[in-house]
Amino acid sequence: MTAPTAPAVPRPPHDAVRAKVVPGRLLRLELRRNAMLWMLPVAAVLFWYNGYREIMAVPPMWNLRAMTLQNRLLLDFAIPVVGAAAWMGSREGRRGVADLLGITARPRWARQLTGWAATTCWALLGYLCCVAVVYVLTARQASWGGPLWWPAAVGAVAVPLLSAVGFAAGTLFPSRFTVPLITVAAFFGLAFGTQAASGDHSYWQISPLTAGAFDIGADSGVATFYRYLPDLSIAQVMFAAGLTIAVLAVLGLPAGSGGRWLRGSAAVIAVAGLAAAGTAVGLAGTGRLDPHGMIVIPALHDAASDQPIRYTPVCSHTAIPVCVNPAYATYLPTVTATLGRELGQLAGLPGAPGRVTQAAQAFQQGPGNSINSILHLRPAGGSTEFFLPDPVPGDLGQTSAAFDGQLEATTGLELAASVVGAPARSAGAPAIAGPAQQAVIAALTRIRALRVTVAQNRNPDPLGPFARLLPASGSPAAAAAARFAALPAATQHAWLAAHLAALRAGRISLAQLP
Amino acid sequence: MTAGPASAMPPGEAAPGQAAPGQAAPGQAASGRVHRRLQAPGSAPRAWSPALRLVWLHVASRRVLVALAVIAACAAALRGALYGHWDSYGARQLPLTFEVGAASVIAITTASPFGEAERATGRWLPYLRLGTTLALTAAATGALAAAGTGGHLVGGTVEVLRNVAGLTGVGLLCAFVLSAGLAWTGPTAYLLAGVYALYTDWHPPTLSTPWIWPARPPLDRGAAICAALVFTAGLALITIRGARDSGRD
Repeated sequence: MTAPTAPAVPRPPHDAVRAKVVPGRLLRLELRRNAMLWMLPVAAVLFWYNGYREIMAVPPMWNLRAMTLQNRLLLDFAIPVVGAAAWMGSREGRRGVADLLGITARPRWARQLTGWAATTCWALLGYLCCVAVVYVLTARQASWGGPLWWPAAVGAVAVPLLSAVGFAAGTLFPSRFTVPLITVAAFFGLAFGTQAASGDHSYWQISPLTAGAFDIGADSGVATFYRYLPDLSIAQVMFAAGLTIAVLAVLGLPAGSGGRWLRGSAAVIAVAGLAAAGTAVGLAGTGRLDPHGMIVIPALHDAASDQPIRYTPVCSHTAIPVCVNPAYATYLPTVTATLGRELGQLAGLPGAPGRVTQAAQAFQQGPGNSINSILHLRPAGGSTEFFLPDPVPGDLGQTSAAFDGQLEATTGLELAASVVGAPARSAGAPAIAGPAQQAVIAALTRIRALRVTVAQNRNPDPLGPFARLLPASGSPAAAAAARFAALPAATQHAWLAAHLAALRAGRISLAQLP
Repeated sequence: MTAGPASAMPPGEAAPGQAAPGQAAPGQAASGRVHRRLQAPGSAPRAWSPALRLVWLHVASRRVLVALAVIAACAAALRGALYGHWDSYGARQLPLTFEVGAASVIAITTASPFGEAERATGRWLPYLRLGTTLALTAAATGALAAAGTGGHLVGGTVEVLRNVAGLTGVGLLCAFVLSAGLAWTGPTAYLLAGVYALYTDWHPPTLSTPWIWPARPPLDRGAAICAALVFTAGLALITIRGARDSGRD
């Protein structure tokens, strides 16, 4: 009997399907049995303790929150991610199954990459959840603006790098001591790596922890009036991605990781990754501080980003309106309350501004890591510009009382001097004041109390060039100031309206002050 | 008369299944290997006192020598780092990093390669655990303090002693609760807490709880008490019960 001949049935593409399914299944297995999953609560607690409380304590401004987030969140995730990745990487060696798994169909490199991918997936999930929490809460609290994505993106690319470093260390040195040592070493490198940064040309600002210029960092004046420049962020992303690729490719180099073709490919990828990372470091070294407080990298810079952001200012309904950038809208009541005395007394007087408008301060790189803030005020069209003191309340431990004092000592003093004092001989310099003018300025600004604060802080000249607008403590002008300040506000205003021209001309003596 | 199989063999050789002089019996391979290492090359086998041999075997099984080498490396790295220029943050946070490295290593040495079986071997095991941990802690403190001698080690020797003891206690507690393999989680997580607490010295509100002792001054009594309590608790648990055996390690 012969078997019936049947037409050949085409073989189903089982192998092809299986080839696609197996890596996914392997990834699912790794995801289920991954140490990073159990480290997520640790990471969450560390973030809450170290990062979240500090981020949410800073004022609800997108630039402050996003730039602080880049620094804090990555540091909080460094220890759990590196530790868990090293733990997973050393698993085969720790359990003594490396030889056993060496005879499986998949190359060792592919198996290791799957383990790293699973660890990274959990770490990224945790990272993105933390970003989401901060951004959602900030969106509810911020008075203006939108989320800055580049700081979050830098961290999102740096997390796989941390995971790769830990995983590679655990794989290549599967000792019980490897996990803590690489964890501490990675934390040390990340946290202390920025210590070597010096100036805007430093290569060390490539560290993913560095958000913006090294000695400015998260500042309310950065990325408020001008766009957030992504130049440094792009270089940091390039560095982290290149280094991640290089580290992972190193895993494919040892004998047994795969065939000759695979190992050759790994070598090429490693070189390419290192080249990308090295290029990014080189680009960071070409950075310079732009006047708006951000790092410009010429090769990555888009000139269109230099344009100021258009906004409609938020103004107060005071006798002299005070207008601020809408990002600072929450501080407008504080500003008007602090400057209310000057605004009320000076309104309607000859030379008084019709409006006071907030201006953006400019930054200039000094020697080393020092930064100079440049304050160029220009009265234009009846409007006088002013700067809000930096930092704003809640940022870097700044108190409302200190903020009010600084506002009074800068804007209040300048406002009173611009009306009462004689005009300065050069543009940008403070007005000139004689003894009677000093007495009136001191009475209007209540600056005497500030001088007590000055003595306590042992700062000899916190007012800078504005100090000469005030009478010396204990002088006859100071006594006249106290006398004038004791008058009712209406009396002061009436006297100023009647005698301002003579006062400005220097024809009023201290004895003639009421 | 024919001799038995064993007596027919040349001196120094053993019958199958029987241990030769100076060699370990089956199942005691590790002990035999350790014993051979104690002999100087070319010298005759020496008779070690049982107590000394027991201590040596315990030290070898916990990889104490490697731990000592790692602690020495931490001290050398600290010494090298102190030559660098650090700002106020870095100068205070730097020593803590190396103290955590040393403390993690001490905690990991509590891992036993024998697991549950070792607990039934005799009554000396708690003393061995106690002695090993105390000796390593003393070595770590001494090495790190020596590394800071003549350098700008903020806090000085007293702070090193307090921090290493407290961090080792955290690691020992983690070894007891989680397993020795995961004992690094506690000290490394505490590292971030300590670094942040030191940071708040410049950026209020300052974290002043004595349970985060690295942020307190070296002679702060509350911080010293907290660190000592944690160290004592960890040491007591590890001495009496040992690190948790985890089959998943």
